[in-house]
Amino acid sequence: MPRPTRAAAPGAALFALSLAVLAGCAQDPAPDAAPSAAPDDSHGTAYPLTLDNCGVETTVEAAPQRVVTIKSSTTEMLLALGLGDRIVGTAFLDGPVPDTLADAAADVPAVAEPMAEQAPGAEAVLGLEPDLVYAGWESNLTADGAGDRDTLAKLGVATYVSPAACKAPEHMPDPLTFDDVFAEIAEVGEVFDAGEAAGALVAEQRDALASVTPDDRGLTALWFSSGDDIPYVGAGIGAPQMIMDAVGLENVAGDVHDTWTSFSWEQAIDADPDVIVLVDATWNSAEQKIRRLESHPATARMTAVREGRYLTVPFPASEAGVRNVDAVVDLADQLDELRLEAGEAQDR
Amino acid sequence: MTTTEGRRAPASSPAGTTPNAPRGAAWWLPASAVVLVATVLGAVTIGPVDLSVGDVWRSVATHVGLGGPLGLEPLGALPDGMVWELRLPRVLTAAAVGAGLAVCGVVMQSLTRNPLADPYLLGLSSGASLGAVLVLVAGLTVLLPVAAFGGAVAALAAALALAGAIGTITPTRTVLAGLAVSQLAAAATSFVIFWSATGDSYREILSWLMGSVAGATWASVAITGVAVLVLGTLLASTGSVLDAFTFGDTAAATLGVPVARVRWLLLVGVALLTGALVSQSGSIGFVGLILPHAVRLLTGARHRLLLPLSALCGASFLVWADTLARTVFAPREVPVGIVTAAIGAPVFALLLWRGRRIA
Amino acid sequence: MTTQTRTETRTAPRTEAPRRGDGPASADGLDAARVSWAAGERLVLDGVDVTAPKGAVTGLLGPNGSGKSTLLRVLAGAQPPARGADGDARVVFAGVDLLDQPRRRRARTLAFVEQEASTDLPVTVLDAVLLGRIPHRPLLAGDSAHDRAVARRALADVGAQHLADREVTTLSGGERQRVHMARALAQEPALILLDEPTNHLDVAAQLDALHVVRGLADRGVTVLAALHDLQLAAQHCDHVVLLSDGRVVAAGSVHDVLVPDVLDPVYGVRTEVLTHPRTGRPVLTFTRAG
Repeated sequence: MPRPTRAAAPGAALFALSLAVLAGCAQDPAPDAAPSAAPDDSHGTAYPLTLDNCGVETTVEAAPQRVVTIKSSTTEMLLALGLGDRIVGTAFLDGPVPDTLADAAADVPAVAEPMAEQAPGAEAVLGLEPDLVYAGWESNLTADGAGDRDTLAKLGVATYVSPAACKAPEHMPDPLTFDDVFAEIAEVGEVFDAGEAAGALVAEQRDALASVTPDDRGLTALWFSSGDDIPYVGAGIGAPQMIMDAVGLENVAGDVHDTWTSFSWEQAIDADPDVIVLVDATWNSAEQKIRRLESHPATARMTAVREGRYLTVPFPASEAGVRNVDAVVDLADQLDELRLEAGEAQDR
Repeated sequence: MTTTEGRRAPASSPAGTTPNAPRGAAWWLPASAVVLVATVLGAVTIGPVDLSVGDVWRSVATHVGLGGPLGLEPLGALPDGMVWELRLPRVLTAAAVGAGLAVCGVVMQSLTRNPLADPYLLGLSSGASLGAVLVLVAGLTVLLPVAAFGGAVAALAAALALAGAIGTITPTRTVLAGLAVSQLAAAATSFVIFWSATGDSYREILSWLMGSVAGATWASVAITGVAVLVLGTLLASTGSVLDAFTFGDTAAATLGVPVARVRWLLLVGVALLTGALVSQSGSIGFVGLILPHAVRLLTGARHRLLLPLSALCGASFLVWADTLARTVFAPREVPVGIVTAAIGAPVFALLLWRGRRIA
Repeated sequence: MTTQTRTETRTAPRTEAPRRGDGPASADGLDAARVSWAAGERLVLDGVDVTAPKGAVTGLLGPNGSGKSTLLRVLAGAQPPARGADGDARVVFAGVDLLDQPRRRRARTLAFVEQEASTDLPVTVLDAVLLGRIPHRPLLAGDSAHDRAVARRALADVGAQHLADREVTTLSGGERQRVHMARALAQEPALILLDEPTNHLDVAAQLDALHVVRGLADRGVTVLAALHDLQLAAQHCDHVVLLSDGRVVAAGSVHDVLVPDVLDPVYGVRTEVLTHPRTGRPVLTFTRAG
């Protein structure tokens, strides 16, 4: 496979090293086919590892040592798996890392100083000599963004898109479930030969998720993500729906077969949700959303607005990743604190 | 002795003698006024949420003060809010914007003697977009209308200054200068979006750029309504003056029209009206460009009829387009600018086809 | 930038050019003096004096580029005259300086038929002619029955009444020319300026146009028409004014001006003049000079 000469030396060395490690483990050295379910995490990963990622066959020659992460979901994934030292560049972060990962992030200069506010250019990415680009959105990996997947592969840079973000219908999780999220954690663990850490993280998250009993009062909710005149809300098959299901909220836009969707205020008012989940983003904060809801004479009449029944979730936690379970726990707590009674907002 | 007298519709050109336009013109104005009223009434009852016609009228009647006399029970707070705070302002704003854009389109096409002219020709929409986008990106959404209006006026000033710097202001020079300013403002807008739009704030920007009345409130109705009633009526009453320009500036001058002064006044009028409209609805395309042609194909080129008729037809058209925009893809909503473009092009092609076979 | 008004021609001796019109009615006709106009640095009209008697057809002649169109446009008020070193221009008609008049009043007195006036709009002939009524009614008002009557009469005068409901864009060149003339007539002017009214017309149409013009003159209208065809001028004009390079080189009757001594240096040709046996007017033939 053709490689630029400057990447050949470390690549070859790594290759040799991992072969030696594998040999030392007395592991079956046959190259693996495409495992994407939860692997046996007591053994190391067999390289080269080939995966079907969003319909693109991706091969990782060895445990990546120099990773460029795009978007918070992927950055936080690596930090949560203790792989922060592998990150050489980050970009397009959606907000600050959560407190639980703050210490891990402090040691990674690339997180404190991202390369770019949006998708970085291909040259800038290649300048860091990565062996893997781990993208949170499929659209990050285009010629205008960090680079076309095939082109990068030819240059010896493997690419991996968060599976929950695949856009093609046959690859998009429909609907997204926590099993999908955990499977991603496991797959990332496999890619980085960090199976143990991945298994531990999954177990931890499963426990946390199990500790939350979905609310059974049949409360409805609107997942208000962004937008002003035309609201953009969480719809039926994406991360917002997954989180709301776990918390026990019924999504008023759940009938729409999409991850997120543009909605109409009229429908929102008609549904009169019991609570409104506000996505708090740096460019569109929860406060701004509240102001908007309260200042417009039509939305101000909604029960949830009049009584201030808001749940807040930070934007990075609203995309599939390691923070979804935390979001579920947090939203469940916020819901309890509202102390609503069943069927309170059923009549207008 | 006079030709057929038709009932004059309200809010049409000032009382004068019956116009002598061909093709049975006398009934066009009253007919289109009736259509507009019916459209507004109908559109308020249509929406993604199923509200009965009776409920809608209950809500309107209560607010208008007829609730007591007619013994009507007011509607519940939420449905009432839907009708009175969402649908009605939106429909009325769409009507006002449609009327205003159509009138501006007629004036611009006649003034520049260019059938491809529209209200946005002199950089008005690009300037407004630039102002709006700057404000949206800076998060100062509350200043949006002011910034859009200011942007439109600044663009006009720049276009006229550029046209004047080249030499005497002729229609061609004005159009070219406007093009230059448009391109510049559009490039700046794209740059600002590309550089600073984070997360999905681009969706709001896109929605504004495509034009939408989704956020209309009673304040929007007031702004657009006053602008159309004052400036729009003024512009619509210049029918004879615009007729004088039919054969060019020299002909107009020798018919006693102060060409330069009239041109300035009309352009400023168009800029102010367009700026006011765009500040509330974003740059809704197509209405100002095609409505004048469509109406002309139906009734001829006399401006005394063309101006008020275009206003009425433009209002109805945009109300229908907006109704489609908010119902066809329910529960999703699309910006109305998409619908005007999607409907308008085939309709215009149809009218052209028909028009070819008439004289 | 303007120099003293001169009436010298370039080479050969010239005939006397009378300063004021021939006939006794000049006081009621057009009397323009010191008309200048510059396009940037270039002086297009240099202190032109023109008189056109009332009730007569005056031809404005001159080679291409002599400034005929510009002169008419300045007289019509479509372009303001430049300040002359000798003093401001003066365009007096029936005792009133048109340049001082408000536009609308002037439009009720003076009509201008341009060389080319076109439109893409679906305007009917009658509507086009009705435009001529604009100066006679309030600016924002519509047409009255009287306006329509005048318009139809104007169309009849030019023999185009059958075209009233046609769209102007569908007419031939000659028909369009008649419509523009009808529009000028609808203004009910006392002074009418025409810029090459016979351009693009065939022989019959040319004669028709000039017949209309003659009819106007007979009704007492002052007519000043730019003509490029010297033969037509010889046949139909009562007086002619000859321009060359923005200056008047000769003015007077056709017999005085349309002579080889005057025409040859201006047009650069060799002229021969015969006399028409029936009308007594000059008949001109031209051969190449030198």
